[in-house]
Amino acid sequence: MLPLLHIPDGFLAPQVALALWLATALVLGIALRKIGDRNSTAGPQTILMGISGAFIFAAQMFNFPVAAGTSGHLLGGVLAGYLLGPWAGSVVMATVIGIQALLFQDGGLLALGANTFNMGVIGTLGGTFVARGIGATLGGTRLAALIGVGVAAWLSVMAAAGFTTLQLGLSGTTDIRLGLPAMLGTHALIGIGEALISVAALSFVAASAPEILRTHQARDAGTSASPARRLVAAAGVIVTVVLCASLFASASPDGLMKIAHDLGFSLKGSTAPFELFAGYSIPGFEGPIATVVAGLLGVLIVAALLVGLSKIAARRRGE
Amino acid sequence: MSLLRGPGQRDARAAIITTLCVALAIALLPAGSYLAYAVVWLGVATAAALSGIAPLALARRGAIALPFVLAALPLLFTRSDEILWNGTVGSASISISGAGLRILLTAAAKAWISVQLAILLVRQHPIESIVGSLRALRLPDALATGAGLTVRYLDLLRGEASRMLRARSARSASPLGTTRERIGGTIPWRARVTGNLAGALFLRAYARAARVEEAANARGATGSLSLGALRERDPHVAAKSGLAVALFALITVAGAVLPRM
Repeated sequence: MLPLLHIPDGFLAPQVALALWLATALVLGIALRKIGDRNSTAGPQTILMGISGAFIFAAQMFNFPVAAGTSGHLLGGVLAGYLLGPWAGSVVMATVIGIQALLFQDGGLLALGANTFNMGVIGTLGGTFVARGIGATLGGTRLAALIGVGVAAWLSVMAAAGFTTLQLGLSGTTDIRLGLPAMLGTHALIGIGEALISVAALSFVAASAPEILRTHQARDAGTSASPARRLVAAAGVIVTVVLCASLFASASPDGLMKIAHDLGFSLKGSTAPFELFAGYSIPGFEGPIATVVAGLLGVLIVAALLVGLSKIAARRRGE
Repeated sequence: MSLLRGPGQRDARAAIITTLCVALAIALLPAGSYLAYAVVWLGVATAAALSGIAPLALARRGAIALPFVLAALPLLFTRSDEILWNGTVGSASISISGAGLRILLTAAAKAWISVQLAILLVRQHPIESIVGSLRALRLPDALATGAGLTVRYLDLLRGEASRMLRARSARSASPLGTTRERIGGTIPWRARVTGNLAGALFLRAYARAARVEEAANARGATGSLSLGALRERDPHVAAKSGLAVALFALITVAGAVLPRM
């Protein structure tokens, strides 16, 4: 089972491909400025980034036997981001994805902006912020860091698959209502492999050479965002995905509701004692806007819960 | 001060610009312009043959992008326009859309030709030359240096990874189907073994980066490493780029003029 994340040329509309080139160039420009502030290109960070690019390539050779004839392999975005720092990790992944497109034709040249955006920006940069945010929220211990990396590694694969499908849908080369569940379903399994390998690799590095992680965390401490800001940034990404996905939400009943309707027991279920957003809509709003507003409010409630839990965790750490 | 300078690379700037212009022109071709796709493919195959690359091998390698056609497959059944076939399979009513088929074939053809175009570029110019040329085309120094180092150490780290995989295979956890021995451990255990390999390889890469840095410092490197700097620059790159733009215009016009289905 291989991830379908390297979009070849021909599948994206030129305007989508060019817009994602611009977005990627903007983020990479910021990343290079953040890295360039600290070192010259002959400095240790650039050398480590370059050789880490070769490491990611080589680590992708490590297949992971799952069952007969099926194996997964590491993508490495969150691992690179956690070991090198989110900005350096995203630049490393951009380099790797670019060389993959040139050397192995894994992904198109025009689609390179989109592929880098999905795996390098969303997967690596966003994933690393999520990993660090979760790690800090759960208390900042080694176990918390590993949980953060595991969850973020899984999410990074899912987010990359989701964004890939949305871009294909915007280009008119897939049907999002069928493509999104299919892509997310397949990549949910691939993401589990990614999470397990990333956690094991980080655990190995933390046990064998903890000074490497301490050095990078100390270097990033002065420049990186607080856990709350990371969570807000991650929530921003999630909001974008939810809003985009909700625009494509099907008006047809979902699978379970259809079966219930076909078998004639759809009216026998009892209703909930209260409903916040009945039918994913808000009174006073009509059509797709109602779905978007309902989705937005749902995300805000989850974000508020996360912030509340963060405060409780911080207070308990203080005690 | 530029140190660690390699032997120097050939100028691939014109080839990169031409590849990007043709790739963009292919992407802009309208859906269903099969004749235009055939003409462009013929051009790519001719360029390959003139460069000593067998067009058949190139065409076979171009199929690498075709599994992605799966993403466009649902359109065949979900679009309701230009119905080609309508019928029932079991209790389900299924129709095949001509418009969906056109989108699927268009994406497959464009991807197939674009992959061949990229292969043509890397077969004519080694990756080190392409990285050096991208630096000459104003790719940021940190990216170019990073890419240069990645390319330089790629074979070395892949070799190390191969040896680690061989050791793992000899000791445990080889995938079913590749060898006859029994697969080892549970899935989490196998994942841990694989993760340990990745962690160990990272530590080796980290140690190598430290040695490269020491070597650069010992030689007095203070600025760019200038990996992959061009040996000599093609004086005709502007004229060749003009031809690439003309080629872009020609393909676009062909797409507009040639009949579609």
